[in-house]
Amino acid sequence: MSGPPPSGFRVASDKPFLVGLGVLGGSYLLIIAAMVLADLMFLDYGDRPVLGPEMVKQGRYTGGEATVAVEPGRSYFFQRGENEAGLKLDDQSVTGDGLFQTDGSTVTLLPDQPGQNKPVTASLRPKARVLGIAVTNHVATVTTDVMHGLLWGEFIRVSGTDAPGWDGVREISDTTTNQLSFAVADGTPPATTLSLSKPNPLVQALRSRDIRFSIKLSLVSCTLTTLLSLWVAVPIGYMMSRFEFRGKPVIDTLLDIPIVLPPLVVGLSLLILFRYMPEWLSDAVVYKWPAVVLAQFMVACAFAVRTMRVTFDQIPQRFEQVALTLGCNRRQAFWRVIMPQARGGLLAAGTLAWARALGEFGPILVFAGATRQKTEVLPTSAFLELQAGRTEGMLAVSLIMIAAAVVVFIIARTLGMKRIFA
Amino acid sequence: MIVLENIALRQGSFELSDLSLDLAAGEYGVLMGRSGCGKTTLLEAICGLRKIESGRIILGDRNVTELPPAERGVGYVPQDRALFPTLIVREQLAFALVLRALGQTEITRRVDELAELLGITDLLDRTPDKLSGGEAQRVALGRALAHRPLVLCLDEPLAALDEELHDEMCRLLERVHRETGVTILHITHSPSEAKRLAGCHFRLANGKVQRDE
Repeated sequence: MSGPPPSGFRVASDKPFLVGLGVLGGSYLLIIAAMVLADLMFLDYGDRPVLGPEMVKQGRYTGGEATVAVEPGRSYFFQRGENEAGLKLDDQSVTGDGLFQTDGSTVTLLPDQPGQNKPVTASLRPKARVLGIAVTNHVATVTTDVMHGLLWGEFIRVSGTDAPGWDGVREISDTTTNQLSFAVADGTPPATTLSLSKPNPLVQALRSRDIRFSIKLSLVSCTLTTLLSLWVAVPIGYMMSRFEFRGKPVIDTLLDIPIVLPPLVVGLSLLILFRYMPEWLSDAVVYKWPAVVLAQFMVACAFAVRTMRVTFDQIPQRFEQVALTLGCNRRQAFWRVIMPQARGGLLAAGTLAWARALGEFGPILVFAGATRQKTEVLPTSAFLELQAGRTEGMLAVSLIMIAAAVVVFIIARTLGMKRIFA
Repeated sequence: MIVLENIALRQGSFELSDLSLDLAAGEYGVLMGRSGCGKTTLLEAICGLRKIESGRIILGDRNVTELPPAERGVGYVPQDRALFPTLIVREQLAFALVLRALGQTEITRRVDELAELLGITDLLDRTPDKLSGGEAQRVALGRALAHRPLVLCLDEPLAALDEELHDEMCRLLERVHRETGVTILHITHSPSEAKRLAGCHFRLANGKVQRDE
C-alpha cells in the first residue's frame, strides 16, 4: 500500500514559535545580564581626589562667559554641568570632567549656547594640598589648605611618602574642617610629598567597620536561617507530601502565608506577636540579632518548605513501601531510602532559603531595627548608605551581596554536579 | 503458605469484601484479573502496605494481620520495580540484610549467592540507571529474596519485557521457585504466562477470588 504521500495538508512552520520563545527568553536573560553589568560598570573603581569647597558662584552667563579666579600652578577638579561646553584656561580648553592644572590666575567657563543667559551649572573645586603634619603618639594630624569634607570613620589613601607605615589606606580617627587624623607608625615625612585621595567605594565599604559587621552578621544569620529552615522544612514537607489528614488544606494555606504576605507585614506581625511574649524573651529577641534570624526565617522557611514538599512529591511512595517490606520502619525508610534521593531538593531548598534570607529587608527593618553594628545586615547597610546620600556606598554593598549570592550558587551547583556525576 | 480469610478492603470508592484465598506453602500461585479489579491492592494488603478493614491474613503459620510490613516476612517486587536510585546493586541486595544487622561476611556471602542465582554477578557495582529492564527485574527479585522471605509477591513482573527476555525471565522465576522453595503469588494479565508458571490459578473478578483448576 505504498503511494505518493497524501497532499493538500501542510503543517505551518515551527519557526515563528521557536523564534518567539527565543526572543522572549533571550530578552529576559539580556535584562538580567545588563542589570548586573550596569552595577559593575557604574561604580568608579579608581581613587578620587580629596577636594575643597565649590568655587563656582551661582549666576547666569550674562556676558556669554563666566570667569573664576584660581591660584596659578594648582590642580582643580572640573565637572561640566548641563549648560556648559567646557572650560578655557591659558591657551587650552578642557571639555571632559576631571583634574586639570592651570598656570594662569583665572579660568573661563564656556556656556553651551552663548548668549542664552542660562544659569551656571558647572562645578570647580580645588584639590586639597597638605600644609603640615604633626605626629603625636602615633597619630598624624594632617592640615590641608582647604576644607576637605571628610568625615570620621571614612578612609583615606595616603601616598607619596617614603616613611614606613605611612602609605596605604588609613581610617580617619578625627577631623575638623581642614584637619584630619589617622594612626601611623614612626617618623614624619615632609608635608610636600604627602598626597591624599579617597579610595574607591568598594574599598571604603570593605574597610568600614559597620559594613564589615554587617557582612559578618549577614553571613552568619543567613547560614543559621538556612539550617533552621531546612530543619523545619524537611519534616513539614515530608508530612505534607506523604500523609492525608483532616485540615490539611488549611495547613497548606497557612504555610504559604509568609510567601504571599507583604514582607513588611511579616515584620510587623512578629513585632506585635512579641508584645505578648514574656518580657525576658522579647527583651532577648526584639531589636537584637535573634530578631534578624527570626525575620529571615519566617520568609525563607516558607520557600524551603515548598521546595521540600515538591521534592518529596516527586519521589514515589513505592520506594518507602518496598523498604518497609524489606524490614524498615518508617524512620529507617525515610533516612535510608528517601533522604538520599532528596539531596538535590535539599540543596535547592537550602540555596533558595539562603538567597531569600540574604535579601530580606522589610521585616528586619521593622522587627530588628537598623542599628549599626548590632542588627545591621547587608540590605540594611545599603539602605543606610542611601539615606546618607552615598549612592556609591550603596552600590558597593550591592556588589558585595551579588558576590555572596554568586559564590553560594556556585557552591550549590558544584555540589549538585558532584551528585550527578558521581 | 498464604491464607486470606474474608478480608475487606477499601480504597477511596473502590471496595473489596469477603475475599478469601488459599495458597499452600511452596506453591506458585498466579492471580489474574482485569486491570483495576484490585489485584495490586490485594497484594499490598498481603504485604501490609494497606490496612484491611476486616478478616485475617496468614503467612506461613503466623497471623500477620496486625504486623507491620517489616515483620511479615514477605518479599515484594512492585510493577515498577522501585530500585533505590542512590544505591548500587550490591547495596540493594544487601539492604534487608543490613537492617537485620548481619555480619559483613555473611552479607557478602548471601549477596554473592543471590547474584549467582539471578545471573547478575557482573552488575553488582552498577547503579539502577545503568541497568536494562530485564537486569533491573532480576535485581528487584534479588532484593526481595535476600532476607529469605516465606512469601514472594510479584506484581506483573514480566509486563514490560520483550518476547525473548520474557521467556528468559520465566525460566528464571521457575528456577528461583525450585531452588528457594518460596511461596510465590504472581499477578499477571497474560494467560500464557499463567499457564506456563502457575501451579495454582486464581482469578479476581466481581470482588471475589476464584480458584481455577
